[in-house]
Amino acid sequence: MGDALRRAESGTQLLARLEGRSSLKNLEPCLFAEEGSPVHGDVIEFHGPEGTGKTEMLYHLVARCIIPKSGGGLEVEVMFIDTDYHFDVLRLVTILEHRLVQSTEEMIKQCLGRLFLVNCSSSTQLLLTLYSLENMFCTHPSLCLLIVDSISAFYWIDRSNGGESLNLQEMNLKKCANFLEKLVREHHLALFATTQTIMQKSTSSAESFFPLKLQHEFDTDYRPYLCKSWQQMVTHRIFFSKQFNSGNSKGFTVVSCHLKKNNVVKRSFSIKMSFLYSAKSVLHS
Amino acid sequence: MVVLRAGLCPGLTEEMIQVLRANSVRTVVDFVSSDLEDVSQKCSLSYKALVAVRRVLLAQFSAFPANGADLYEELKSSTAILPTGSPSLDQLLDSGLYTGEVTELMGAPGSGKTQVCLSIAASVSLGLKQHVLFLDSTGGFTASRLYQMLQAQAEDEEEQAVGDTALSQLEALQRIQVARVFDVYEMLSALQEVRDRLSQQAVSCTGPLKTVVIDSVSAVIHPLLGGRQSEGLAIMMQLARELKMLAKEFSLAVVPTGMQVELDIGNSDVQEPSPATPTEGL
Repeated sequence: MGDALRRAESGTQLLARLEGRSSLKNLEPCLFAEEGSPVHGDVIEFHGPEGTGKTEMLYHLVARCIIPKSGGGLEVEVMFIDTDYHFDVLRLVTILEHRLVQSTEEMIKQCLGRLFLVNCSSSTQLLLTLYSLENMFCTHPSLCLLIVDSISAFYWIDRSNGGESLNLQEMNLKKCANFLEKLVREHHLALFATTQTIMQKSTSSAESFFPLKLQHEFDTDYRPYLCKSWQQMVTHRIFFSKQFNSGNSKGFTVVSCHLKKNNVVKRSFSIKMSFLYSAKSVLHS
Repeated sequence: MVVLRAGLCPGLTEEMIQVLRANSVRTVVDFVSSDLEDVSQKCSLSYKALVAVRRVLLAQFSAFPANGADLYEELKSSTAILPTGSPSLDQLLDSGLYTGEVTELMGAPGSGKTQVCLSIAASVSLGLKQHVLFLDSTGGFTASRLYQMLQAQAEDEEEQAVGDTALSQLEALQRIQVARVFDVYEMLSALQEVRDRLSQQAVSCTGPLKTVVIDSVSAVIHPLLGGRQSEGLAIMMQLARELKMLAKEFSLAVVPTGMQVELDIGNSDVQEPSPATPTEGL
C-alpha cells in the first residue's frame, strides 16, 4: 500500500516529466570550459569579490532566457531567488531594451512574464521557500533555470547563530544544498548560484587550514568556506575578477573550471558604459 | 527556528504536537522536510491532516514568488527620484536618490558626508514636503546648520513671499525627525520602529516617510569588529539586511554613511571583510 502511494504521481508531474525541459546548450557558450554546457543537472557557481560582474552576468543570462525565440532568445522561464534584496528590475529592463529589436512595452512585459522573483530573508526561509517552490516546478514545464543570488549571503549570520558547533552552523545550508540537488535532479533544471569571496588567503606564510584542491595554472584566491554538501554538488566553478586595464573600459575576467573534467578556460568581458546609467530613461518612458 | 506549537496554524492540535515531539519532529523545518507517510505511520495520525498542515505552514513561512511583469508595473508606479540639494551630485546619481534603493556615502573623516546628509534632509523636506528620518550615531547633527541649509535652499526658490519663507522653513524642520542612536542595538530597534509604523500605515502626525538617512553606520559597527568572533560580522550583515529590506519593501530611499576600513587580524588565516561588503551590489 505504501509503495503504491509512493509511486503514484499526479497528472501534472507525469506531463512535466515526459514533456522534458528545453535545452540550455546555447545559453552562453563563451562562459563554459567545454562545449555543450550547461546541460540539465549542472550546478554552476559564480565566485568572486564584489563589483566583479557576477550579478551583471546573471542579468545577461536571464535576458537570454526570457527573450522569445523570434528575438534570438531561448524563450524559457527563469526562477530567480534573491537573498540579498538587490535585484534591479530597471536594470534588467534596460538590458532587454538594448537586446530586443522592437522594444515596446508589450514585448518587455511579455518577456518579464517569464521571470519569477523570490526574496528570502534567512536561511530557514530559503529552505522553506525551496520546499514550497517544488510545486511550481511541476506545474511549469518551461521553467528550467534556477538562479540563487547569492547562496553565501547568510554565511556570517548562520555561523554566529550556530555557536560553537560547526554542524549547527552549517546545518541550514547543508539542508538547502541537499534539497537543491534533489530539485535539480528530479526536475531537470540547471542551477546558477553566486558566492562572495569573503575569505582571502593570508599574506603571511602561516599554514593554510584548507588546502586548495583545485590544481590549475590560474592563481585565484579561492578559499572554500561553504559546507561540504555544497562543494560536492558544484559541477562548474567560474571565477570573476576585475581587469586592470588602462583607460575607462570596465573589463572583467572570467576563469571557468569544469570540476569533474579539470578543463579550465579564461575569457574576458566588458559592460558597455551606456548601459549603466539609464534607469531614469526607463522610468520616464 | 520556529518551534511547533498549538495554534500555530489551524489543524495543529496539542495532542498532535506531543506525538510529533515524541518522534523528534520539533520545529517547522523538521515537519516540512520529513516524509509525511513515515510520520503518519509512526505517529498514527491522518495523512491528509498532515498534508493540510504542511501546506498551511509553507504558505505561512515561505516567501512567495512574484512575476517579473507585475514587479515592473509596481516599480514604475512607486519609484520616485529625490533631489539631493546639490545639482552636480544629482547628475552623478542619475538625477537623484532612487526610492527602493540603498545609496551609501563612503569617505574619510571630514570629507563632507554629514553635510551631504543634512543637504538631502533639507532638500526632501523643503522641496518635496515629505518627512525624513535622520538617525544620528555620531552626534554630528546640528539643527542650526540644518536651518542654514534650509535658508540657502529657500533663497534659491523665488516663488515665495518674504513672510512665508520663515514659516515654510519651520515646517520643513518639523518634518525632519531625528533619533540619536549610539549603539547597534538602538539602531536596529529604531529601524524596527520605522518598519512597524510603516506596515501599520497609521495616519500619524509624521505623514509620508520616504527617506531614511543614517549618519553613520560605521560608528556603531566598528566597535564590534575585530578579533576572532564572528558576532560582529553577523550583526553587520543583519543591519545591512534590515536597511535593504526597508528600502525594498516600503519603497524608501535609505542613505547610510560609512568609512571604509580594512582589518587584518595579525596571523590568523582569515582576513575580515571591510564594512563596505554588506551593501555590495548597489
